[in-house]
Amino acid sequence: MNTEAKKAVVQARNLVQKSGKQPVINDIDLDLFQGECLGVFGLRGSGKTTLLHALAGIERCKSGSIDILGYRAGKSEKYKRKLGLVTQERSLFQDLNVAENLDFLASIKQASQPKIEEMIERFQLQPYLKDPVNNLDVGVYQRLALACALLNEPQVLIVDEMIRDINLDSRLIILKEMESFVTAGNSCICGFSNMEYVHYMDRVAWLDEGKIQIYSPEAAAARWNELVAQMPKKRGDIHV
Amino acid sequence: MFSPYFKIFRREFTYMWRDKGLRYVLILIPLLSVLLFGLTYRAQVLTDIPTGVADLDNTIQSRELIQELEHAQNLEVMAHYPDYESLRRGIEKGEVVVGMVIPEQYGKKVGARQHADVSMIIDGSNMIYGINSSTAVMLITRTISGESGVKALLAKGININDAIDAFLAIDFREDSRFNPTINYAYFLVLGLILNIWQQCCTLLAAMTVIGETGKASWKQFKLSTISRFGLFASKSVAHIIIFMAVASAIYGLCFSILGLPLHCSFSLLLLFTLGFSISLHSIGTMISSFARNASDASRMSMVIAVPAFVLSGFTWPLEAMPVPLAAIVKWLPQTGFFQGVIALTMKDAGWSFVSHYFLQFIFIAVVCYGLTAVIHSVVER
Repeated sequence: MNTEAKKAVVQARNLVQKSGKQPVINDIDLDLFQGECLGVFGLRGSGKTTLLHALAGIERCKSGSIDILGYRAGKSEKYKRKLGLVTQERSLFQDLNVAENLDFLASIKQASQPKIEEMIERFQLQPYLKDPVNNLDVGVYQRLALACALLNEPQVLIVDEMIRDINLDSRLIILKEMESFVTAGNSCICGFSNMEYVHYMDRVAWLDEGKIQIYSPEAAAARWNELVAQMPKKRGDIHV
Repeated sequence: MFSPYFKIFRREFTYMWRDKGLRYVLILIPLLSVLLFGLTYRAQVLTDIPTGVADLDNTIQSRELIQELEHAQNLEVMAHYPDYESLRRGIEKGEVVVGMVIPEQYGKKVGARQHADVSMIIDGSNMIYGINSSTAVMLITRTISGESGVKALLAKGININDAIDAFLAIDFREDSRFNPTINYAYFLVLGLILNIWQQCCTLLAAMTVIGETGKASWKQFKLSTISRFGLFASKSVAHIIIFMAVASAIYGLCFSILGLPLHCSFSLLLLFTLGFSISLHSIGTMISSFARNASDASRMSMVIAVPAFVLSGFTWPLEAMPVPLAAIVKWLPQTGFFQGVIALTMKDAGWSFVSHYFLQFIFIAVVCYGLTAVIHSVVER
């Protein structure tokens, strides 16, 4: 996609976050443009979740600034009305069932009742409405999590490892909804650690040792393949 | 559509009802304590205190004395011992709590209107037995001693009325108010049950903040624009309603089923309890704001709630405590609450007596909720 012509909906500048004295995010600049799906690729422990939570404004960074939809995170909360988040860890209300989670989250996000019904239909949640969320299969849980994140009709959606290890039916529903979300002119940041999904992204921010490098999906896949190809040689070096 | 704050308020009830542990702690344990303490103190007054006798004289006079003892309301002669040593061992073994030793020559001395010593031994290891035994023994000895004195005067030819007047020259009339029969149930049961209740309430209050911020679902609140004040205020109102519902049930059972005295108006008692519930909740909430996790919050809340009852002046007067300690415990809401509840239910002390406690509750609540807001905002940053 041509990023020059697009308007940035999220702008992060000089982001620094530390875990103790160790930098997790080290002076990162990142832009998310309107209508794009930006993948944040990183292996476990690379700081992907920290970065996504910082971008969502739920975790404060040591330094740097984040502007979301024209608002400065930390100074205004207004952007939260147009932001959706699906976390890697199960962050829905464990004490409530599926229907109650939708109802409760719709209420705190000030979404309407018809929106709840629409989400139930779009994410095929009807059979699970009375089920407690901690008993749900991973795929159904992720469908529900995405449905909840979309209740307030966000313009920016941040999802963290949403389609890892889930069944094909749920994967299909989620990918279809994500696609239509972006097609409608909204923007999305997806944290992922499996290169299988790289082609769903418009650009890839590769996070390694606290720094990011931006790639096209093809270039990111090529770099990954190169790294994988080097593995037997590296293994041989170790054995020798 | 209901406001998000109403939903948060409503969810609190759902959450507490679905969490079996919380349900037991909040409802079952306080209500069970009504049954438990109600049954424990159902006798209300300690009677039939096990009593032993060592009659070393074995005369008509000594047997008369034993008969007097047998007729005493609170004592029950259960064992006879051949000598002082066996009686002492009987007390040591717990066979009897009170012992009377009638010495040799007792009958002879009484017959001759001479001074006679009768030893009374009381097991003081159990304070309740000790106090009741002393009172019962004192009543008997005073009566027997008086009778004996009157008989001595009669034997000297003094008119019976003059003899009685001589012994009852000063008539100390006891006018024991509020609990004339020294009914243990009246004094202890409500206090003990409310102690259990306040501990359970503190436990719940200690979950107000950490119960949300310690969970992954806190991210959902962080992502919303609802105010933290609104969120915690909605939860707090729900908690206080639950506290009051349980307290009302406890009062209902205590006053109607257990027959405990309620001399003040029920609405005044409820208003006073509401003030206490708010201050108690504020302390729990404050603990909750700086606790690292839920179990940390539970532990810290119990560190305050458990000794607070003992230090409240309910079981030991504040005036008898070291001055610095009494000054500190006066600032615990439990102190005012237990003092106030006793004064209201047993003495109908009225609003004028409890109003300063009530103001203290409100002051504690303002300080603790204020500190919670400050601590929470610092922790969030």
